[in-house]
Amino acid sequence: MDSLTKVSFTNLEKVLYPGLELKKSRVIEYYIRIAPRMLGSLKNRVIVMNRFPDGIDKGGFYEKDAPAGTPPWIETFNTYSQTAEREIDYVVCNNLDTLIWMANLAALEINITLSTIDNYDTPDLVLFDIDPEPPCSFDDVIDIAFSLKEKLDELNFRTFVKTSAKKGLHVVLPIREKYNFRQTREFVHQFGKFMAQESDLVVSEAKNSMDPGTIFIDYLQNTRGKTMIAPYSLRAEPKATVSTPLEWKELKKGLRPDEFNIFTVLQRKNDPWEGLLTNKQALEVE
Amino acid sequence: MEKDTDRAKPSQRPVWSGSITIGLVNVPVKLYTMIRDRSFSFRLLHNEDGQPLKYERVCIKDDKVVDWKDTVKGYEIRKNEFIVFKKEELDAIRPESDERIRLDKFVSLLSIDSVYFDKSYIMVPDRSEEAYSLLMTVIQQLGKAGMGKVTLRTKEYPVVVYEYKGALILTTLRYANEVVNPGDMEELTLLKKPGKKEMELAEKIIKDLSGDFDIAEYRDGYREKMEQLIETKMKGGVVVAQVPKKEEVKELMVALQETIKQLSK
Repeated sequence: MDSLTKVSFTNLEKVLYPGLELKKSRVIEYYIRIAPRMLGSLKNRVIVMNRFPDGIDKGGFYEKDAPAGTPPWIETFNTYSQTAEREIDYVVCNNLDTLIWMANLAALEINITLSTIDNYDTPDLVLFDIDPEPPCSFDDVIDIAFSLKEKLDELNFRTFVKTSAKKGLHVVLPIREKYNFRQTREFVHQFGKFMAQESDLVVSEAKNSMDPGTIFIDYLQNTRGKTMIAPYSLRAEPKATVSTPLEWKELKKGLRPDEFNIFTVLQRKNDPWEGLLTNKQALEVE
Repeated sequence: MEKDTDRAKPSQRPVWSGSITIGLVNVPVKLYTMIRDRSFSFRLLHNEDGQPLKYERVCIKDDKVVDWKDTVKGYEIRKNEFIVFKKEELDAIRPESDERIRLDKFVSLLSIDSVYFDKSYIMVPDRSEEAYSLLMTVIQQLGKAGMGKVTLRTKEYPVVVYEYKGALILTTLRYANEVVNPGDMEELTLLKKPGKKEMELAEKIIKDLSGDFDIAEYRDGYREKMEQLIETKMKGGVVVAQVPKKEEVKELMVALQETIKQLSK
């Protein structure tokens, strides 16, 4: 249709966020404008789309397979999925057109793996998913995130933080690709166990993750083929929140995750995660 | 426009993947469409300016256009009397695909009435070459076809699985109550037995015209003429549709220009 993109836009007037009367055209525009900051962290990673073609009120569906009608210029990565018990052609997003194509599919939520397709079994990201259960507040989450950061700082790890765009925070540690998922999972679990001893709020085990008033240090996403919400991805939340990379110093009491949304994130000047992939660290502690 | 070639090209992507299940044995397979429809489709244009027409849902009471989101499905029980269904109600009774083709019976391939055949798919082994080959060879040698059922998209079908040209083919079948019994046609109850002489003559004619089945002898004349016509028209100029650019598209183009500039830095 236009030489600027290979994607033919469809149903641009479809309202995807009814509460905000936000049309699909605005979602696509968001992804076009955020692309310079977003594409780096998507590069060479398996993508799982969470699509909401009828808007966020009508429920979405996860799409792992490149859907029928995927144009030939979309890059895919074929691998066996343990959960699906079959081989899947995953979408890989290495350029602007692919990102626009996903946005046009109403893939509001874009999820990425913690490893790249070059070394699919050895992660380059470790995820500490700080996941609160009400009545814990976001202030509590910030407290726990800082207590985790303190411990990681002491061991000279440099970490990156983003909002989950729901209730929690994601703390990410980029690592050299020489550990397997069992090791990274155990690494995170150890921190959870340690912190659970220190704080009444923290729980380290999945079985307690739904206990009211607790904060679970979720280590389980550090698993082959599992994904996290990508930095700068939208969420299918009423306020059109964005999983937003932050400077640690921005995390202050009273902050609300929904302050970071489709309208505000584009105004932010810097990308606090710019150095993410140039700071790969060794997990061994000297 | 796509040039016609003589073969129906295989599709690039499987329409379904899962496993054939016979008792405790599983054979993972992918299904590819076997039938490629080659008919022409036209778009309706406004004869004055050649612009494409769009369809809208118009309420028959006040002639106003109704948005998709303001529609529900109604089942007509009597003329203009409907029972209304919500999407959730319909979704609740839809069969869920469990990614299995369960075969529970093997019948003689030749005993299946072809009138029940609906759509055919080519089955391809999904890292299951050995089991696939074994199943294909054994049913081919025994002249058998597996009967069972599968859920494709949102519908459950009876299916038959058999060997054809070195492949396992899955053909969905019509349910018994979807096929009209010829005996229910009144005219057919009045048939008389033909006389001996007439039979001899008729037999001679049929024998003279006998041959082997070869579907390639039949060509779609309409399609061929259509293709010629299109080619001629293309030389003489086509009516080009001008889709007016909407406000939204313009905004996206502005965003695209800015982002592309930034990315190329």
